[in-house]
Amino acid sequence: MTAPLLETHDLVKDYVIGGEVLHAVNSVSLTIKRGEFVAIMGASGSGKSTFMNMIGCLDVPTSGTLLLDGIDTKTLDSDALAEIRNRKIGFVFQQFNLLARTSALDNVAVPLIYAGLGYSERRERAQAKLEAMGLGNRLQNTPAKLSGGQQQRVAIARALVTNPLMLLADEPTGALDTQTSLDIMGIFQKLNDEGITLIVVTHEPDIAEYAARRIVFRDGQVIEDAAVKSRRRAVAG
Amino acid sequence: MTNLFNAIAGWGVNIAIAMTALRTNLMRSILTTLGVMIGVFSVILAVAVGNGAQVSVTQQIATLGSNMAIVVPQPDSGSGPPRSTDRGRLTERDGQAILRQVSGVSAVAPQIRSSVQLVTPGRSATTQATGATPEYGIVSNITASEGRFLSDSDIGAAARVVVIGQTVADKLFADANPVGETVRINRVPFKVIGLLESKGSNLGNDNDDQIVVPITTLRQRLLTTATQGPDDVTLLFVGFIDEESLLLGQQEIKRMLRDRYRVAKGRISPFTVRTTTEIAETTGQVTQIFQAVLVAIASISLLVGGIGIMNIMLVSVTERTREIGLRMALGAKRSDIRNQFLVEAAVLCVIGGAIGLTLALVAAAIFQKVADFPAPVGLDTALLSVAFSAIIGILFGGYPAIRASRLSPIEALRSE
Repeated sequence: MTAPLLETHDLVKDYVIGGEVLHAVNSVSLTIKRGEFVAIMGASGSGKSTFMNMIGCLDVPTSGTLLLDGIDTKTLDSDALAEIRNRKIGFVFQQFNLLARTSALDNVAVPLIYAGLGYSERRERAQAKLEAMGLGNRLQNTPAKLSGGQQQRVAIARALVTNPLMLLADEPTGALDTQTSLDIMGIFQKLNDEGITLIVVTHEPDIAEYAARRIVFRDGQVIEDAAVKSRRRAVAG
Repeated sequence: MTNLFNAIAGWGVNIAIAMTALRTNLMRSILTTLGVMIGVFSVILAVAVGNGAQVSVTQQIATLGSNMAIVVPQPDSGSGPPRSTDRGRLTERDGQAILRQVSGVSAVAPQIRSSVQLVTPGRSATTQATGATPEYGIVSNITASEGRFLSDSDIGAAARVVVIGQTVADKLFADANPVGETVRINRVPFKVIGLLESKGSNLGNDNDDQIVVPITTLRQRLLTTATQGPDDVTLLFVGFIDEESLLLGQQEIKRMLRDRYRVAKGRISPFTVRTTTEIAETTGQVTQIFQAVLVAIASISLLVGGIGIMNIMLVSVTERTREIGLRMALGAKRSDIRNQFLVEAAVLCVIGGAIGLTLALVAAAIFQKVADFPAPVGLDTALLSVAFSAIIGILFGGYPAIRASRLSPIEALRSE
């Protein structure tokens, strides 16, 4: 039995808006093990995105404990957090967030710059990940010359290029049509089969059905945490 | 070794990112660079012109002659303008007394200066005439490049002969050889006996725009207003054998003149005795101030250029907040973000500095050619200016860069 990848204890994030304290995330304790495929659901304002930002080390909790790969993130400074984001976490965003006017290859290579890799190694590894995503013939295309699905696959290649422990995807299918969404979920399932931990934030119930475990947020708290019955399988496109 | 290599490669990446960002907003980058370019251009040119002025002054002093004292019948007004109302008298006899009584004096050259009009058939010129003796040539290092200089017999006979400067020769005789020709000075015909050796020009002051005639002739035939006495002079040049006797002699001349004119103790002497060394020092100080003022004004344009850089970098950081957030999410440390923007600012400045330097070199060369004014740009100036512009970039790019690096990753990522 390996140590859990992610553990939270009474995790709280407060926002002060107009003098009133808003508990965006209110005392959440949960554990995610290596190799899980988790869907985090909830209406907008339920706290799911805030929770996601904290476990992605993009935002710091107001109180509570967050253990990532056994490390208490409270003890880390901004440089150490940057290193964790670089080495252990891969992000996939709703709007893809690719650098405009920059080739797919250079986009995928960006995290490797911050990992301190040399030029040729960056290119080799970025190219390999793009080829694995079926984009071997699109290396030099800029985002403007790629479809939405292709852009999201470039973003996934970028998230994977440092070989992280987990992938955090925030509404990854939110900007895509049904068929492309299905393709992306297929890619996620395949990656999960290969051992990577996946955490997907979504508000679409059918997208959540591709995950193995579903956690539902409401008013900053977890109201449901259970295995997905009748899990759907998608064939990777 | 590997660390060093990685560090260099890391900066290389930053330069590549900077170039991409600058290309994306090409027009804006060019305009921003223009500010730094103009700044560096003016600073270098100011330094060059200042250097040129100093060189010029040194040359000017050299043309005066070394180890020489100048005696004028005016109270010493320091470096301010002379007060002409306080003019005293100075005579050839004073000069003879100085030659006899002051030790270390090699020659005394009495002079009368007067503005005259010269006419040749179809041409005319106005210039300054110096009525002098052969000693003037010895003390001031003046010789004739064509023909001859004044002789003692010219003085004795009050001969109507003139030695003219190159500029005057050009005006009156164009390309023809003036020696042996006749010129009318204030309507009196004079024979040109020689051409003064060219001394060029310094600080817009043409040393060749003058003529020399015998002091006796000038007094008798050319002065429009009568002098107070028959042997009054405008000034005396006193040549010394070496610098030591010059310093001693300066004081001795002052004492002697007080005695001769019975200036009471405690009263200001109506004579000024200046050495060429003093003149060199004063003028040197003046040119240094001139250069400092010039550089200060030019620096303001560089400062404005720097503020332009800061402005654009702040805009750039604001526009690219989302990109900053993304880079942070992908593992960029604060220092990575800071360096990225610092390099961008430095690249803008160094490009601007390099172009500014090139233009300044060209301008200095043109200046030298057209205005006949030395404007030397040294290698030190060149390197300094490029380094200076990089420093401007880092200084003025520093604040925006640090601001970018302090952004919270999630807030940056959320911005539109």
